[in-house]
Amino acid sequence: MHFVTGGAFNGKAKWVKARFPQAKWISAYKGEPFIQNVHVAHVVLEGLEQWVKASSNSREEWLSQFAIWHRWEQEDASRKVIFIGTDISKGIVPMEKADRDWRDRTGWIYQDLTGLCERVDVIWYGINQTIKEDSK
Amino acid sequence: MIFITGGVRSGKSSFAEQLAKEKARKLGGTLHYLATGVASDQEMAKRIARHQQEREESEWPWRTWEQSTGIEVVAEFFTSKDIVLLDCVTTLLNNELFSQQEWNPQVLTRLLQGIEKIQDHCAELILVSNEVLWEGINHGNKLVLEYSRMIGNLHQTLVARSEKAYLVEAGIPIVMKEEMV
Repeated sequence: MHFVTGGAFNGKAKWVKARFPQAKWISAYKGEPFIQNVHVAHVVLEGLEQWVKASSNSREEWLSQFAIWHRWEQEDASRKVIFIGTDISKGIVPMEKADRDWRDRTGWIYQDLTGLCERVDVIWYGINQTIKEDSK
Repeated sequence: MIFITGGVRSGKSSFAEQLAKEKARKLGGTLHYLATGVASDQEMAKRIARHQQEREESEWPWRTWEQSTGIEVVAEFFTSKDIVLLDCVTTLLNNELFSQQEWNPQVLTRLLQGIEKIQDHCAELILVSNEVLWEGINHGNKLVLEYSRMIGNLHQTLVARSEKAYLVEAGIPIVMKEEMV
């Protein structure tokens, strides 16, 4: 699994599209469900922060959601799951408690996801910096 | 072209000036400062005056141009040995957006054309811009979202067109892009 993060409007989706043009694109911005049956090798799950916002799932429950995709990927060597999540951690502390909770949960869930992914990239205005890469 | 970004008071402007001086020394050209700030209050006016005075008194004199919109009009005053420092891109975008009656997305294309024209006339164009996309949480506000998208796209295009891109953090420039020449 591969996690791609960075600030909003930094070209994360563009970067992923250029590398996985054939991927099935599942987007939280379009209100699509996180878990789906797919019949392709590459899957992109875009807008992780929005799925986190919309769900009341605990950190543990999110881990088991990620595990579903992880198992699916492991079943076939050609499969690849790419998650895209906007970094929302660096602004001023939000006024609303719900927004603070969302920001906290997103940060923790990103940390857990990073633990499961063999590769993590941060995108800065279209330029990637690989911050994790496991040797195979 | 060189792109430099950073937060407020990160030292990005000082770094850009230092870089510009080094380039000018190598090329023997003139240093030009393209200021985009409009003095909206006294504090701002004082700050602009202070910066200007500092540049005039430096061992390598700067020529200052004040152009809050339509920067392409000054392009013809530069020569192929000159270094132009534009400070800053976000202010220029704001000026272009707010000088109009209506919110016009065409502003981006025009702004990029202006930058291109200046680039064509000088030896090196150094752009300074502001990191503003870390809020992220304002997705409810459509105008903020649209503005963020514009800034993001503008920065992506500028980084793609630059040979070098820097992010300045607490006075320290971090090389984000460096093309081998």
